Amino acid sequence: MPHDHPHPHNKPLSDVELRVKALESILTEKKLIDPDAIDLIVDTYETKIGPRNGARVVAKAWSDPSYKDRLLSDATAAIGELGFSGVQGEDMVVVENTDDVHNIVVCTLCSCYPWPTLGLPPVWYKAAPYRAKVVKDPRGVLEEFGVNLPEETEIRVWDSNAELRYLVLPKRPQGTDGMSEAELAEIVTRDAMIGTDVLAAH
Amino acid sequence: MPTLTPDIVPGLIATGASARLDEDVAPKFSVGDAVEMKNINPVTHTRLPRYVRGKTGIIERDHGVFAFPDTGAHGQGHKAQHVYSVKFSFQELWGEDHAENMYLYIDMFDDYMRPAP
Repeated sequence: MPHDHPHPHNKPLSDVELRVKALESILTEKKLIDPDAIDLIVDTYETKIGPRNGARVVAKAWSDPSYKDRLLSDATAAIGELGFSGVQGEDMVVVENTDDVHNIVVCTLCSCYPWPTLGLPPVWYKAAPYRAKVVKDPRGVLEEFGVNLPEETEIRVWDSNAELRYLVLPKRPQGTDGMSEAELAEIVTRDAMIGTDVLAAH
Repeated sequence: MPTLTPDIVPGLIATGASARLDEDVAPKFSVGDAVEMKNINPVTHTRLPRYVRGKTGIIERDHGVFAFPDTGAHGQGHKAQHVYSVKFSFQELWGEDHAENMYLYIDMFDDYMRPAP
């Protein structure tokens, strides 16, 4: 067969890619899914729902003490006030980092993660090394992320493998007193809301 | 089963499907209770990870009544029961040479626990 058109030859698909394609084909053939629905879900989490939502929650909590109280006592309702709700955020818990306590979230059994506020989880969050190590050596994991906490800081690891989903309320960095809520939202990182980052002073 | 079509996706994403159940089930434990995780080894679906089996923790918070995945995953019903945040020290989980100020919190179902001896 003539084969002179200029395109790079692709590598064979990985096992996971093949499995996903096979599953999608079967589900489509059985009329359980319309592939356009899957594309819409992927597009929603790639372009519309992500950690900027969580950053808005954090910035509001830093700016409004009564909102912070509501967030820590009924996180699902308080996050819902900003319009963030739905799949994998039905039952939320927010845990607060302070001068004395640092919180980190993991799901050791799979990859449970608060989608409405953080979007889809990063690859490392789903990977076995993070899941296995953070429940046993969280300080070691933090060091890999470039975070060194004083020995006096209490560490709380939250394994979210039931139906509750967790968001960390990071400590507000020093030097941000004059910042607006919108400006504060800009400095909140995804990893700080998982607990693998500490926000630097400004 | 209806087909998952694009028109129902936004509603599904915005609403989700909570596993919380509006059923009046009495809790087996109270905040502050010392509880021992059962040392069981199911080959079917479970949310009881091996590293807490046989370990003792303290009930920190009662999250309310939820569907039990261990039965639901196998078409055996919701078996509604309370889920609690249970606090374990690293010394209990990993040994006495670990720092005192390190804790692991995990959400555990009634069926996974018994009162600590």
